Amino acid sequence: MSTADWGVVDDEIVGRLRDIVGPEHVKVDDGAVAAFARDATPLYAARPDVVVMPGSAAEVAEILRLATRARVPVVPRGAGSNLAAGTLAEAGGIVLVLTRMDRIVEVNADELLAVVQTGVTTAELAAAAAADGLLYVPDPGSKTVSTVGGNVATCAGGLRGLKYGVTRNYVLGLEAVLPTGEIIRTGGRLWKDVAGYDLTRLLTGSEGTLAVITEVTVALVPMPATSRTGVAYFDSLATAGRAVAQVIADGVVPATLEFLDNKCINAVEDFAGLGLDRTAGALLLFGDDGAPDVVEQNLERMARTCEKQGASGVTMAREVAESEALLAARRCALPALARLAPVTVLEDVGVPRPRIADMVARIDDIAERHGISVATFGHAGDGNLHPTAVLDPSDGDAAERTKAAIGEIFSAAIELGGTITGEHGVGAAKLPWLQDRLGAEQMALLSRIKTAFDPAGILNPGKTGSQEL
Amino acid sequence: MSELPIVPQVPRPVDAGDHGVHRRGIFDPELLDRCISCGFCLPVCPTYALDKDEQSSPRGRITLMRALESGRLEPDDPTLQHEASYCLGCRACETVCPAGVEYGPMLEQWRDHQWRAGHGPALARWLRWAVARRRMLQLSGLVRRFARTRGPVRDDVAHVMLGCAERALFPAVSQAARALVPGADAPADQGCCGALHAHNGDSAGGREMALRLGRDLPGTIVTTSGGCAAHVAEHLGRDRLVEISDYLVRTGWKPAGRLMTRGADGRPRPIRVTLQDSCHLRNGLGVHRQPRELLEQIAEYVELPSAASCCGAAGSYSILRPRDSKRVLAPKLDEIMAAEVDYVVAVNPGCLLQLKQGLLPRRARGAKVKAVHLVELLVRAGSRAE
Repeated sequence: MSTADWGVVDDEIVGRLRDIVGPEHVKVDDGAVAAFARDATPLYAARPDVVVMPGSAAEVAEILRLATRARVPVVPRGAGSNLAAGTLAEAGGIVLVLTRMDRIVEVNADELLAVVQTGVTTAELAAAAAADGLLYVPDPGSKTVSTVGGNVATCAGGLRGLKYGVTRNYVLGLEAVLPTGEIIRTGGRLWKDVAGYDLTRLLTGSEGTLAVITEVTVALVPMPATSRTGVAYFDSLATAGRAVAQVIADGVVPATLEFLDNKCINAVEDFAGLGLDRTAGALLLFGDDGAPDVVEQNLERMARTCEKQGASGVTMAREVAESEALLAARRCALPALARLAPVTVLEDVGVPRPRIADMVARIDDIAERHGISVATFGHAGDGNLHPTAVLDPSDGDAAERTKAAIGEIFSAAIELGGTITGEHGVGAAKLPWLQDRLGAEQMALLSRIKTAFDPAGILNPGKTGSQEL
Repeated sequence: MSELPIVPQVPRPVDAGDHGVHRRGIFDPELLDRCISCGFCLPVCPTYALDKDEQSSPRGRITLMRALESGRLEPDDPTLQHEASYCLGCRACETVCPAGVEYGPMLEQWRDHQWRAGHGPALARWLRWAVARRRMLQLSGLVRRFARTRGPVRDDVAHVMLGCAERALFPAVSQAARALVPGADAPADQGCCGALHAHNGDSAGGREMALRLGRDLPGTIVTTSGGCAAHVAEHLGRDRLVEISDYLVRTGWKPAGRLMTRGADGRPRPIRVTLQDSCHLRNGLGVHRQPRELLEQIAEYVELPSAASCCGAAGSYSILRPRDSKRVLAPKLDEIMAAEVDYVVAVNPGCLLQLKQGLLPRRARGAKVKAVHLVELLVRAGSRAE
């Protein structure tokens, strides 16, 4: 559908929206919509025509029916911590803010599940589960901010991917509203359920392009008794990569396996002065959780493997507090890099685990050719990398050069058998590269699926399933 | 490995959403550019917690500031007007910001512009005028004269800052502070510190008043007001201006004993207390361990889940926006009741007044919990002779 076909958000539409959710939950003022022109994606901005904050699935249904009839774009939004311009209203229209739907419906220790409304934050869900001795596994970096609905919509990842999987592995059921106004419930409180297509998984990671998620049923696991962390330095990422391969070949599937490249190590050291080895080519954090004796044994094995593979230094935390201190190096990566320049472009690609070192070498090469500054950290266990560029927007064409470099980074990841996004999503920012990753046939299928859910094409246009705007 | 040709896609034109666009000169460009819009500040913002609305979050407000600076929004835009005053200015956002954004100074610059000549709340103008009048301060001091000391200002002792609100409302707090700081005086001829000006659209005036206070009280100034402490320390330095709990911990103050009361069973037990942090003391100066350390020596200490989050007093906020101020306070009062404490302890006169007023209806219904200033309890516990 071309831009010219969009319906106009006129006084009549605004009036109807006010009737549906109440006048205090509809905003059209210049200032009010300006605040929603951004999510967490740098270098992207677009202002909606109207901001609507519904309080229930029924209200969402009425809004979507109205939008489909009037052909007005609707962009669902949680806390707006998206990093791929996935909640940007590039075609204008309605930004549908779901943060008012923030009730924890149920935490059930007998069934090992929780039911929450879409606007509950990930950290709130985790805290509610922890109060009953249970763990909600997915822990994206933005968990204090991001909503569960947003996590499901992007299939958020986190630090525990290798051992525990990602958001999709913990979604049992959804309540969602179709663009045409029907409220559906997919899955449920069942671990086994093959009745029909797996719509729960289809909607998980669909980035608000197929339906609006209003309630989520998630699986919980018993809280691990303990966890411990160690840190190892290597002269290069390639050496670190060989150690990671050997750790896994030894039969250990660690809960934590994170790396920082040399540029990250130095940025963190400049910022926090933790006493890291600035000369190291890579810092590897390894850790496990579970029963104390198993954790102890796995930590010892991983430390020995790192040493055998040529680690220049290995430190193991004796207790939880020491683990926290070691993890500080990883936690400081973003703050350290963010302080280097006004704009921080936190990117997200994935490659098969054995190709991590190759990928980082390519990233460094691309950055150098474009004259930009990129440091890389990421999840060594699952091959998910976060090349992070920092730049000053007032520095001539730095933004353009960064975007060009990032495009090449995507192409390089695909070449190495990887993907353009591991956990942030496609959004508007990566749509131009989606076909490179999926091929024309899958792109066409995506488009047909999109039409089946959203015949008027109103839901989050310009993202997965539709054309660039 | 065979190198496949890399075909760069054509990136679309960049729209950074006013990031890095400086036209009106309202904000320090370096401060305004620093926000990376990650949104980590949302969950700690009291007004975002109330409304779950981006525009009432620190990130949303910075987006608005950028739109004002770039000229995208006019200064009289109603959302700008609303948010400039709806923000409590508690600076909790700064403590979780990965990019090190200094929100406090930006809010001052915003209000300097937003509330420039005749555009701000009339009540804020009146407050600024009133506290800048020394005679009025001294007048209120006359009524409650026992707080201050007489005679010339000495430069070899610590001075207790009387503050503008405290000398009128809580002279016993200044008096208790004097008792705790050996040899301290409390000269009557000292003005307001200017924090109220700085936070209400007149940061130049606020700075001037802080510097003048520094001239009036040479040497170390000890204050019982967390809100004033951050402002004055910003202009005089942290070696000149010391908040009382910080001062007492640094000088190794020890109580004579614990404060006891009788439990429901008639047996003596230590009093049970909780602390309400002062936002600017905690978020601006990083002082939060010290008052807890002192309280643990004299009482059974209980931490409230929301201890670090604003009580809604927020300087003049409770006067300028009484309804929102009460909305911010309400969940905290429930926490205080649930904690079953004897005292809720404040380290700032504004918070003290806010908690006292908030607890009134509950006390009328039979609740026993009282709001007190830290020094009032410490002085009752007595200082141990070294």
